[in-house]
Amino acid sequence: MARGFRLSSELVAGVAVGAVIGWGLDQLLSTSPWGLIVFFMLGFAAGVLNVVRSAGVVPDKKPR
Amino acid sequence: MIDPIHQFNIEKIFTIANIGGYEIAFTNSTAYMLLSVALISLLMLGAGRKLVPGRFQSLAELSYEFVANTVRSSAGAEGMKFFPLVFSLFMFICVSNMIGIIPYTFTVSSHIIVTAALALLVFFTVLVYGFYKNGLKFFKLFVPSGIPVVILPLVVLIEIISFLSRPISHSVRLFANMLAGHITLKVFASFVTMLGAMGVAGWAGAVLPLSLTVALTALELLVAFLQAYVFTILTCIYINDAIHPGH
Repeated sequence: MARGFRLSSELVAGVAVGAVIGWGLDQLLSTSPWGLIVFFMLGFAAGVLNVVRSAGVVPDKKPR
Repeated sequence: MIDPIHQFNIEKIFTIANIGGYEIAFTNSTAYMLLSVALISLLMLGAGRKLVPGRFQSLAELSYEFVANTVRSSAGAEGMKFFPLVFSLFMFICVSNMIGIIPYTFTVSSHIIVTAALALLVFFTVLVYGFYKNGLKFFKLFVPSGIPVVILPLVVLIEIISFLSRPISHSVRLFANMLAGHITLKVFASFVTMLGAMGVAGWAGAVLPLSLTVALTALELLVAFLQAYVFTILTCIYINDAIHPGH
């Protein structure tokens, strides 16, 4: 259960941050809905990156 | 009746002050935070300094060694600058989680505002120290080496989002584990009373949820320690990024 929470929170956090940034940019630049769409995708990519990194599938950016 | 959420209620004990129309209250959460801090202080200050340690002194020395080794192995010797912060975080989360296992107590880290405050503290420490130590070189953190220039902007954007999502996943992980664990425990425990009210056949049936509750309590004890450790090790990894951002 702990591992599941770990990985799912990583993915959700990435998507949420991407969506919030996109929505904020839309509000500022009135480009709705393009900012949300683009940053949602980027957030998803960041979330997957987080999951893959924390699951240890790919080594982290640098050796420790 | 069965109300597994009731244990997370914040109750006001007394009001400390009114600041700008907002009431600053001393709640049960505050009381349990103070209790954890008091227990930690008692353990660390009252441990004694004998050459042959007693039980409490061994416990205090063990926790020091444990956290110090974690910091050294994941943030390097330079990371020991942050040892006070990391040790306080670990002891606070671990002790307050352990107190939360005891029946009728309140679990401080089952509220996301508490874990979010701790995670943001770490996040801003990393940001401020990273810029203070490395200046603009801190931005190297977002630029992985060996990436073709064509897709570099995309990768940098993804890295920035990944960096910004850290405090969220950092706090949600601890909060969700404690919340879910305590709700599960409460639900299984309420099955025992429900079945027990049904007479002799119910008592026989109640053995199963009762044994599960006992097993889950042991699991929760493990989770309480493990989540404190996970929070600590992630803190060390983030601090390591602040100390050595480049490659």
